[in-house]
Amino acid sequence: MTSMATDEDGVMAAASAWLARLQRDDVTERDGLDFEAWLAAAPANRSAYQRTLALWHEFETCADGVLAELAVDARRPASRRAPTRRWLVAGGASAMAAGLAVAVLPSLLAPPEPATYATGKGQHRKVTLPDGSVVDLNAETRLSVSFSRSARRVELADGQAIFDVTHDERRPFTVEASGRIVRVVGTQFDVRSRQGDLRVTVAHGKVQVRPSATAASGRTFLLTPGQRLEIGRTGVETLQTVDPQEALDWRTGRLVYRAEPLANVVADLNRQFVEQIEISDPALGEMPITGVIVLDDQAAVMARLSLMLPIRSVPSQRGLLLLRK
Amino acid sequence: MAPSGPSKKPAEDGPLIRAFFEKRENLLLFLAARTRCMATAEDLVQDLYLKLAALNDGAVDVRAPSALLYRMAANLLVDHVRSTQRSSQRNNQWRRETRSAIGGEDIVDEPAADEVVVAKQRVRQLAEAVAALPPQMGRAFRLHKLEGLSQAQTAQAMGVSVKMVEQHIQAAIRNLSQRLRA
Repeated sequence: MTSMATDEDGVMAAASAWLARLQRDDVTERDGLDFEAWLAAAPANRSAYQRTLALWHEFETCADGVLAELAVDARRPASRRAPTRRWLVAGGASAMAAGLAVAVLPSLLAPPEPATYATGKGQHRKVTLPDGSVVDLNAETRLSVSFSRSARRVELADGQAIFDVTHDERRPFTVEASGRIVRVVGTQFDVRSRQGDLRVTVAHGKVQVRPSATAASGRTFLLTPGQRLEIGRTGVETLQTVDPQEALDWRTGRLVYRAEPLANVVADLNRQFVEQIEISDPALGEMPITGVIVLDDQAAVMARLSLMLPIRSVPSQRGLLLLRK
Repeated sequence: MAPSGPSKKPAEDGPLIRAFFEKRENLLLFLAARTRCMATAEDLVQDLYLKLAALNDGAVDVRAPSALLYRMAANLLVDHVRSTQRSSQRNNQWRRETRSAIGGEDIVDEPAADEVVVAKQRVRQLAEAVAALPPQMGRAFRLHKLEGLSQAQTAQAMGVSVKMVEQHIQAAIRNLSQRLRA
């Protein structure tokens, strides 16, 4: 065994010890401070802990399924039970935790819908399409749907939506937005198209993004889970890795930002609330925000924002004006 | 900064809020040890932040911001664990998370058929790894992690000390991580 492998073993052992210690019924601030010191001691500690934590959470999500499986094992060689309804529900929980696609019971599908869907300021809407795919529309979003025997086509004129697409190899599902065609077979992903800026984030499955007939140029991308492709209106393409769940969080009224310029955050908020926010100077709009914004009411959101950045808001003629503190 | 204007002026970034933002990721990992997923841990961090904001930082004499942050985080955990620990609660939580409303109708979300297969294989893998643990270690893991008993309850059920339970859990985590390494 090389010394590096031994080191890694040691780090994993320490990470396991920490995860076990934090399970104490009477965990204290001392545990927290010691834990933090250990995290800071070496970068490998943090990643080892994160790995054990991911497995720990997976066991939590699958607990009922694993228990059922263990019970079956104990009764072997008795015939294997078919997965029960309860098991399927547990599977659903794990699929959701991992940000996977979730299909809806066909018997409860909404009746066939008109071809165009739209939302106004602050509105969210969940739509079930004739094939069972589910679309979550964010505020100020407009899209149209046309299904045929061989294709499922959605045109996202403007806005943001999460698509949970049912699997149908014979009928590919495409979303056309900002001069690009996003093509999938069965998957879950988020598309955001605002003023010609396109952003596609994949939670599960594979997604192809290629220029549409109207686009001047552009490359073809194949995105995998956790990848986010941004194409600016000027054609600049950026590919980055994100936590797929974050991209889907707006459905539950949570906006998650990592070093997002204030101006973009304000643009998002202005789609959610009637009272419009303005930023006093462009430099302020460049300030990055990292954190979670819970969209309950605007006054509370503004108060939290003023704690995240050195800003304050004052009433103005059109709504609110953000100033440097 | 004149003391004029509304009496409840926006709080400035006191040492506590600053410490919070510096340590946010660490606090998240601390809390996540006891939540069912990262999203729940994020919610708890957000709760912690709201509590801090309500403290009116500037007015509080904070000599050791880190200690106070972790004390508050530990208190949050106690409340959180108390509200989710009972196993009946666990099922309720599932029901909540696997349901969503469409047009006012309560419906159950279920995974697509191909994902059921993948999830099923993974559950079997997890179960096999647990079944392969040494008996006492496996029992501790099963009672504590899968059936949701606290460390003290697990110790009582097994007739061993709480410290021994912690050691079993630690060894189980290590063993399972090695076995299930991708």
